[in-house]
This record gives sequence, structure tokens and C-alpha cells, in this order.
Amino acid sequence: MYDLKVVVEEVKGFCDMPMHVGDYFEVKGGKIVIPEGKYMCIWALQSMMPFLPAKQRKIDEENDWIPYTERLCCPDPNGMVIYRIETIDPLTKEVIKKERKEGDTVKKRMLVNEDLCTGCRACETVCSFNHTGSFCGENAKIQIRKIEEEGKDIPQVCRQCGNAPCIEACPLDALYKNSETKAVLVNEDKCIGCKKCEKACPFGSIHFSENNKPIICDLCGGDPACVKRCPVSALTYGNAGKKN
Amino acid sequence: MFGYCNKVLRINLTNESYTIEDLPEEYIKKYLGGRGFNMKRLYDEVSPEVDALGPHNKFIIGVGPLSGTLFPGSARVNFSAKSPQTDSLGDSNAGGFFGPELKFAGFDQVIIEGKAKEKKYIFIKNREVTFHSARNIEGKDVFETQRIILEELKDDRVQVASVGPAAENGVKYSGVFCNLVRAAARTGMGAVLASKNVKAVAVRGTMDLKAKNPEEFMRILKEVDHDVYNHYEYETRKLMGTTKLVHALNEAGCLATRHFQTGRFEHAEEVSGEYLAETYKKKSKGCFACTIPCSRFYEIQKGKYKGLKSEGPEFEGLAGFSSRVGVGDIESSLKAVDLCNRYGMDVISVSECISFAMELYQIGIITKEDADGLDLTWGNSDSVLELITKIAYRKGFGDVLADGVVKAAERIGKNSEKYAMHVKKLEIFQADPRGLKGYALGVAVASRGGDHLRSEPSFEFTEDSEEGIRRFGAAESAFRLEYKGKGRVVKFFEERSALADCLNVCKNTITNMEILPFEQAAEMLNALTEYNFSKEELQKIAERIVNLERAYVVRCGITRKDDTLPERFLKEPLPSDCGQSAGSVVELELMLDEYYKSRNWNFITGIPTIEKLMELDLNDIIKDLY
Repeated sequence: MYDLKVVVEEVKGFCDMPMHVGDYFEVKGGKIVIPEGKYMCIWALQSMMPFLPAKQRKIDEENDWIPYTERLCCPDPNGMVIYRIETIDPLTKEVIKKERKEGDTVKKRMLVNEDLCTGCRACETVCSFNHTGSFCGENAKIQIRKIEEEGKDIPQVCRQCGNAPCIEACPLDALYKNSETKAVLVNEDKCIGCKKCEKACPFGSIHFSENNKPIICDLCGGDPACVKRCPVSALTYGNAGKKN
Repeated sequence: MFGYCNKVLRINLTNESYTIEDLPEEYIKKYLGGRGFNMKRLYDEVSPEVDALGPHNKFIIGVGPLSGTLFPGSARVNFSAKSPQTDSLGDSNAGGFFGPELKFAGFDQVIIEGKAKEKKYIFIKNREVTFHSARNIEGKDVFETQRIILEELKDDRVQVASVGPAAENGVKYSGVFCNLVRAAARTGMGAVLASKNVKAVAVRGTMDLKAKNPEEFMRILKEVDHDVYNHYEYETRKLMGTTKLVHALNEAGCLATRHFQTGRFEHAEEVSGEYLAETYKKKSKGCFACTIPCSRFYEIQKGKYKGLKSEGPEFEGLAGFSSRVGVGDIESSLKAVDLCNRYGMDVISVSECISFAMELYQIGIITKEDADGLDLTWGNSDSVLELITKIAYRKGFGDVLADGVVKAAERIGKNSEKYAMHVKKLEIFQADPRGLKGYALGVAVASRGGDHLRSEPSFEFTEDSEEGIRRFGAAESAFRLEYKGKGRVVKFFEERSALADCLNVCKNTITNMEILPFEQAAEMLNALTEYNFSKEELQKIAERIVNLERAYVVRCGITRKDDTLPERFLKEPLPSDCGQSAGSVVELELMLDEYYKSRNWNFITGIPTIEKLMELDLNDIIKDLY
């Protein structure tokens, strides 16, 4: 676990606490330490609180945006106090800086909004047609589960999890990620059909073909056909919170 | 399988056996798909003398070449038989997911013959059939039936077409229901299936269905997508579907109100599609592969009907249980439609039978005592709901109404038949024909009786004189209150509808929005299937089907005198508050002449001429008519 140092970097507006540039507090393990004689604005503190344990994590997942996020702003729109969070190795006391490399952008993912899905299965049909030549959605890499009496239509498709549980669950390394798209791909020669990946998937997005191999979304190589076919944007390919 | 499965499943219930036959090539070349296949089969195998509820009637399921493909709304499935409601041609189709699943199970058509010894449901999976006891679902409603069958078969991708208790109780206008609310409701196909002791047909298919030329198919599909997404009706259809018609027809002054006593409903805005979309709608819903998701899922959050949630309703149910019966409370209309769906009945016929009774009650032909003590005053929604249940279980006064409005009028007597709003024993829809002359003609001549879906001449709303002249030789043809050219308009749209029903694609797309012109349809079929069609051949197929259906109903005793409308529409003008439609009646005869002329049917008898039948390669049926 990292330690953190949260420093007031800039006061863009008017802070009446007042916080001053250079004021700071530290997060050491499970404790918050405020330097003797100093204080911390409770409103700014409470707004950044949930984020601090996340920043302490040492795991380095793929597609993880947290290491790159270093600045938070006080929620008072007049205050605009900018805090910088420094990640510190507790043993060496060195500040860990994670620089974003050229082209190292957050990868797009398959985003699903069940509340919009009409249940039409156009996504299944086009997926199957593109991958197998058959319109029948049986072997489509996206499946719509329907609970008709409740009006529920649940698209089941791979979401490209950072720490993909399916890959971890596979005893034979038959699953791997495409380095470009991060789609989970299957090495069918290695797969023994144990279905551990199916059980591990938190979204129920893996199902098995008649020849007992897992069927997982390959993102059509980076331009998913199902997304283009969906008439209500229940499926999108991009980053949550951003327009594509 | 390229577009077609080329296989027909024939099920014999009497000895629980089945055979698989090749689909004759003649079927494909001359009848194209679903409705065409079924009409040909019905014509050849079910003689007009057959008892519709006896073992010699056949229950026929048909799908078309586009069923199950990526074409938007390629979801429809036709159920056909001789109708117990009209004693004539029976045919009804539904959307949802059943049709495509049948294709994936490897069949273009299923023929169900004979009668099971005890209540059964049939399960078709990839060209294999099993018969299952349905004792535990006997009398269960449509929703429960589907739930139990899916549980028993342990596969939630199974598609179920079932009948509800209404069909099992012999209600003549009971339908076959897919995906809970996707109703093939008209002409009593549910009653036919139930008469064979069949509660449901379940289907599951995982077979490959391919396109002969996938790239070409996708190229044409892209063109279709462009036409769909840029269509001026697209956004409205996506928001409201057919429920948009409550407001639109009320504005036009021809919304069926209090059993067609007027065309304007004072509470129309409170029961409109717009209101529904703003309040109870939770999300859009779509049939198989459809990019125009026009259906809706709604939920009532509070009040008397708290917790009621379902997909739907469509315009016919919404208006049928609001304006037609004078009810201005949308929640009770939703409840009424939900009851009809669960019992498995046709909302048009039910709403006609109830509004017919309400009018008789108003003018004193029937009394509270006749109606089991129900107060049938306009707008009494509790009575409407109770009557729906009474009909479904044929209890008391419900039994009088359960055979359709014609039989109800016969039983009630006292000159009540003039209030029965039907054509050829099939109850008519929720638009007042007086304000829509093309629809009036379409309903009068429709092969399955009082039905607007055999033609849907929505062109008459366009008000585009130039297009009217260009397409139908008369500017008037583009205006709903005009007559000239309507015979040709109806002919054209009957053929568009036949095309839709043969491809088994939604009529909203093919007929109303006029997506996929004949020429493009031919291109698409040539890319999809191993057969070659031209634009002219497709038009001829559509015309052939209309003529074959006409021949069937002629054999059932239908002539020109039956191509008419209830007296009210011909004689009583719409009241003065009906806007532009005020003062209108339907002058049918001139339109009929024009229609027969464009069809080349005999003006006096309404029978297709020998010349026309020969032109359409229907030589083999001439002997049946002459």
C-alpha cells in the first residue's frame, strides 16, 4: 500500500477557511495525519475521502485510470482549491510518479445500458452473421437474456474487465487479451472446456458453443458491429461518461 | 439454408406423429412466403365446407424468406386456418420472436392436423418434434402458460405461441399469443388451436440460416437502414408506435368514439400515445432485429392498478378500451388490454362486442338484467373489465358476446344487428371509416373480413396531389376524405401488405412507411436466396395471393353484396364536432366499381374474371369458381 501526501497546489477562487498553497496532510496506512498546528477543511476532505484508499492501492491493472489521476478540486464552486495527491513509497519515502506514455490512452470498452435495451436481438443477429455467416444468434458473442414479464432485457457481453476474472480462472492460460483492443480472446487449442471462465464472469457474458469452447466478444477487432446495429444506443463502445 | 429452409413440418395430433416434407418449389416461385404459403395450403387442403372447430380443419404456421434475418422487423409469423368466427378465411399474424425461431428450427411451414386425445403442447426443436402433456397448464393464462413451459423445457430461449383460457372456453375471437403480448388475435386462430386440444406450440432452433451473397445482402440492408432512419415518421414511431393514432385520428375527427356515434373523444388527450409515453412508458421494446422499436414497456406505479406492468398496448387496444367504450381513464384501458392479453382474446373484437352492448344499453334494447346486473353506461370502466372476464369464461352475458358481434346480435334480436360493426362477421377497428375513405374501401373488401391490415392505404394521409396523380392517376387519392383513385390505392396497398406478410416483415415498415420497394425487395431476395425474382414477379405474386384469397372466400359464399360496411357508415353522417370529417358518410359503390375494375373482377359478383385468373397462372382454380 502506498502512503499519500495531499497538498494544496493552487487556489483558483476564494477560500474562506482559508486554505493556503502548500498546506497538506498525509495518509499513512489507515491514518490521516495533519501536521502540528495545521488544519484541513472538512468539506474538501470529505469530498476526496472515498478516493484516497483507491489511490493507496499498489495493483497495476490494465485500463486503470487511477494512477494517472492526481488532482482533485474542492466542491465549493467559489473556492476552486486544487489539491495534488502525491503517491509515496512508505519504505523509500520516494514520490512515485506515473507518467502517461505516448498513445497510452484509456482503452475503449463495451458499455451496456440495460434500461435502454429493447430486447430486439439485432446485436446477436449481426454478431452471428459477421462471425459465422448465419443469422441465428445461437453462437453470437453477445446474448440478450430476457425476462419478459418484468420487461427486462439484459445484454450479456464481455466488458473487458481490467483484472479479467475469466483469464485468472482459466487453469491453462487459454484466455488472453488482445494487446490493442484488450478484447479477451480464446486459444481453442489450449482450452479443455472446463467452463471455469463461464462461472468466473461477473456479467454472465461467456457461454459455450456446441463444440464446448467459450464464446467471448472479440470487439470485431475494434469496431463492434453490434454497437452499430443497436437502434437505441443500449450498447456503446467508448469510455463511460464520455461521448464517443 | 439460404433464406428458405425448404422444409414443411406436418404434425398429426390424432396419433402424435409427424412427417417432414420438402417445400414445393412452386410455393416459393408463386407464393413467396408465410401468408402466401399458408393461403395456398389452406386453399388446397381445407375445403370451405370443413367445420372450423372440427378435426378436419388445419392449423397452419408460416414464415417467409426474410424471417430471422437482419431485415428490420423480420419477426412476423402467420397463423392460418378456416375461421370459426367468420366461417371463412382465417389468417392472423404476430411479431415477437416466434417466427425467426421457427426458421432457425428449420421450417418454412408447419401444418397441424387432427385432434389430440388430451391437452398437449408441441415442442419443435431443430426438425424434431415432441408432444408434452399440458394437463398442468390447462386453463392457465397466456403469461403463466409461457412461464411454466419455459421452466419445464429449462431453456429461456424457447419461443412459445400459446392460447389462453378464452380459446379453451371456445371464445370465437380468441387468438394465438407469442412473447406474452404479441397477438395473432384476429379471426379466432386461438379457438382453432384449442379445438385441437393444443395449448401451445413451443419452438427452439439453432440451425444455420445464411445469405447466398452476404456482401450484397449487407449492401442492400445498408440502403434500407438509410431509408428507415431518415423516414419522417421514424422518431414518432420509435416514441409511440401505433398509439400515436389516438391523437391523430381524434384530430381528424374519426376516432371510434362510443361505438362510432362520433369521431371525437373529449378525453382523447388523456388516453393518447403522447400521454402514455410521457407517463407510464418505461422503455421502448422491439420485435426481432427491429431498428424501429415501436413497442413500449409500461408500469403503473400507484393507485387502483398499482403494479400493473406489461408491454404494449397498441392503438387498437388503447382506443378500443378508451374512446370506443367512452372511458377516459387510461389506467383502466391498460388494465383491459392486459386482461385480453392474459385471457388471449382479440382487443378489436372484444371492444366491439362490449361497445355494441353499451350502445344497446343506451338505447334500451338491453337492460341491466340482460347484462347480469352490470351498468353498461358509457365510461363505466369497472363494467368493461368485468365483462371482459365474463366473455373469456363465457359466463352469463359474456356467453352472449363470446361468439362475435354477429352471433350476439342474432341472440339479442330486436333489430340489434344494424348496430353490429362488422364486415363479413369480423369486427372492425378503432378508426371511423367515414373519415378515411380508402380505409373504408379496404375494410369492405378485405379477404378476412372487417380488417384494415389487409391494405393499410395510409397514402391517403399524405395530402400530396402531385404524388396522387403520379402514382394513382388522381390528385384526390392522396386525401383521406376524397374518393377518386381509392380503388387503385387499395389495390396497390393490398399488394404491399401481401408482400409484407409473405416476407414476414412488419407492415409498419413495408406498407405504412413504404420501405423496400418491390424492386429493392427483389434485389434483396436475390442476394439472400437461391432463387431469382424480378420486381414484376413479386408484384404478380402479391396480386396472385389477393386473388387466391378472394377465390377462397367466394367458395365460402362471399360476393359483392358482402363487400360493404355497417349501415351507420353508409347513411349516418359524422356529427358536426368532427372537424373536417363532419358530415361525412362513405359512398362505397363508386369506390367498389373502381376497385373491381383495377382488379379485373366481375362487377356484379365480385368474382375474379377467368382472364385475370389465367393471367396470374391460377388456371387450376377456375373450375372452383365457374
